[in-house]
Amino acid sequence: MKKLIIFTLLSCALYAQEMKISIKPVDNDIYKKECGSCHFAYPAGLLPSSSWNKMMLNLSDHFGDDASVDDKTFQTLSSYLNMNSAEKAMQYKRSKKIVKNLKGTTSDSISKMPYMKKKHEEIKENLITQKEVKGLFNCTACHQNAEKGVFSDDDVKIPNYGKWKK
Amino acid sequence: MKIVIVACLLASLGFSSVIDDFLSSLKQEAIKENPSFKEFDYKRGEELFLSKHIGKKGELISCASCHGTDLNKSNQNYFTGKTIDALSPKANQKRFTDKADIEKWLKRNFNDVYNREGTAIEKGDVVTYIINK
Repeated sequence: MKKLIIFTLLSCALYAQEMKISIKPVDNDIYKKECGSCHFAYPAGLLPSSSWNKMMLNLSDHFGDDASVDDKTFQTLSSYLNMNSAEKAMQYKRSKKIVKNLKGTTSDSISKMPYMKKKHEEIKENLITQKEVKGLFNCTACHQNAEKGVFSDDDVKIPNYGKWKK
Repeated sequence: MKIVIVACLLASLGFSSVIDDFLSSLKQEAIKENPSFKEFDYKRGEELFLSKHIGKKGELISCASCHGTDLNKSNQNYFTGKTIDALSPKANQKRFTDKADIEKWLKRNFNDVYNREGTAIEKGDVVTYIINK
C-alpha cells in the first residue's frame, strides 16, 4: 500500500513537471554539441526560421565569435532549426507567443525579441547584468529547468535574489 | 584473452595516433612555412596561450580567459558563463581524439583571440603546450 502511495505521488510530481514544458526541448545531439559548447543550446522554437536562417549565414561572426562549421554540419544544423523553429512548434505555449509577438520583425537574437524583452521588463537591470548571469542570453542562470523546456515563472531562481516574486 | 590484449593495444594506438598524425602533418606544413623549422616548442605554445590580445569582441583576452590556466580543470566561457570541460587530455580523455574537432576549435579560437587564423607553427606549438601541460 505504502509503495502504491509513493508511486502515485511520484507520478503526480512527474506529471506536474511534464505539464510545465512550454517549449520543445532540444533533441538533436549535433546541435547540442555544436551550439551548446559555448552557450545554452537554445530550443529551436525560440526563433522563427527567418531569424535562424539569417544567423546561420553569418556564423564566422556569431555575436562577435567565430562559430563557423563545416558544410555537412551546416546542413544538419540548418535543417534541424528549420524543422523545429517557432512557427513549426505552435503547439508549445512559448513558441506560439513568440510568433504572435514578432510584429513583423526578424529578430537577430533571442534576447532582443519583443516578447523576450516584455517578459523580463520587471527584473532589475543589475540582476540581469550581474556576473553570475551576464545577460538575458544566459537562460539557465535563472530558469532552473530550461534544458527540459520549462520556462515558467515559478521555476525561476535569480542569483543573489532568490525565487522570483513579482 | 589474446583478442582483448590486441583490442586494447589497437585502442591505445588509436588514441595517440590522432594527435601524433595531426602534429606530424602540421610539421610538414611548418617546414614549408619556414625551411629551417625544427620542432614545436612548449614555451612558445605557452606564450601563445597566455598572452592577451584585443580579440574579435574588442576585449583584451587570451586563450586562458575561457580555458583557465589550470588545463586539468574545467573553466567558464568568459562571455557566456558556460562551463568548458578540462582542455588537457590527461584530465579529459575526449580531448584531442578527433582531427576535425581539433582543427575546428584551433581555427575558431585563433580567430577569437588573435583575429586571424594560426600558422602551422603556432598551431603545433600551442597543441604541444596543451597536451603536455
